[in-house]
Amino acid sequence: MKRLALTLLAAAALPGIAHAQATDTATADVGVSGTVAKLCTLGTPTPAPVDVGQMANTSGARVGKITVIAPRTVTLPGSFCNFAGSAITVTATALVSTDASAVEPGFAKAVNYTADVANWAAGSATVTTAATAGGGSPTASATGPTQPAPKVADLDVTLSNFTAPSDFLLTAGAYSGLVVVKLGPVASGGD
Amino acid sequence: MTRNLKRPSLKRLAALSAAAVAIAWSGSAAAQSDTDTKDFAVVGNVPAMCVGGTLTGTGATFDMGVLIDINTGLLRNDLAAPPKILSGSFCSARSTITVNATPMAAQTFTSTPPAGFSRLVDYTATAAGWTTTPAAFATGAGSNPAAVQTRGTAFSGDITVSVGSFSTVGGANQRLVADTNYQGNVTVTLAVAS
Repeated sequence: MKRLALTLLAAAALPGIAHAQATDTATADVGVSGTVAKLCTLGTPTPAPVDVGQMANTSGARVGKITVIAPRTVTLPGSFCNFAGSAITVTATALVSTDASAVEPGFAKAVNYTADVANWAAGSATVTTAATAGGGSPTASATGPTQPAPKVADLDVTLSNFTAPSDFLLTAGAYSGLVVVKLGPVASGGD
Repeated sequence: MTRNLKRPSLKRLAALSAAAVAIAWSGSAAAQSDTDTKDFAVVGNVPAMCVGGTLTGTGATFDMGVLIDINTGLLRNDLAAPPKILSGSFCSARSTITVNATPMAAQTFTSTPPAGFSRLVDYTATAAGWTTTPAAFATGAGSNPAAVQTRGTAFSGDITVSVGSFSTVGGANQRLVADTNYQGNVTVTLAVAS
């Protein structure tokens, strides 16, 4: 009985083995992997450069002093970061006369303004320049809030609040400033 | 022998693969970044301009009073008047200040006076405070090179205008014809220098 039973077991096992060896299909898994690098891109500033034109009053009680300069907006279209944890840093340099001569008492050779970069995070990145009458220390920088998700947007840079140091008379000449917008991971986010 | 040949071949393949990856990676690193920066210029201008300011004090007239010594009929030698201040004057660039003046002339007695008499009084007008050397104009001088002075920088400040050095046209021994109104004019001009 014992022999018979073993034989039967062997017979029962054989069909199973014969079945596995006879199939015409084989299956195996091959992994496919890739990476996407962190990427931030800013659109081309439009319009640029920004020419605010003539900045001094030529008549009236404030003749020679800074006039009311309307805000200007520059758009950086299609700006994006494909990762969470990015922020805007805006660095603005005041409009300073290109004439290197020393400024005279009662005069200024710089025009300060506020640069505001909006439409990225919950709040905007805003900085106001604080150049001296002589054009010293014209550059200021600020970083806006963190954007917690990948985002694509048209960034609006608004220049406003144009003022002369101490509201002095403005020295004649051509003035030039610079706005730099940087989009990247927040400093603490690591990369 | 066969095994020995195959092994180096695999190593070479691996080395080539590693090289290919390295090349691909360096290409990717150059083309993309997690940070982007864009900048644009902001420009403006301030025109060169000059503003002459306003006269302060007692009006815009130097009132010299009676011009002659009533005992002699000759021009007084002590004529004087307080200076006028042009306040709030400025130029936003290099500038010139020019002073010009006309002799004091009898306004009613306009015909040629008889011998021994004159209807004109010369004087010197001076504009000080703008330049190191005040601009000065003598109405009796044939030329007045000092009437125009240049300042090389922008400036804001008061201009003091004064008159003095009065003399009778024709000579100190000429008597002035009677007239209730002798009048001259002083003009101060601020201009942007080229």
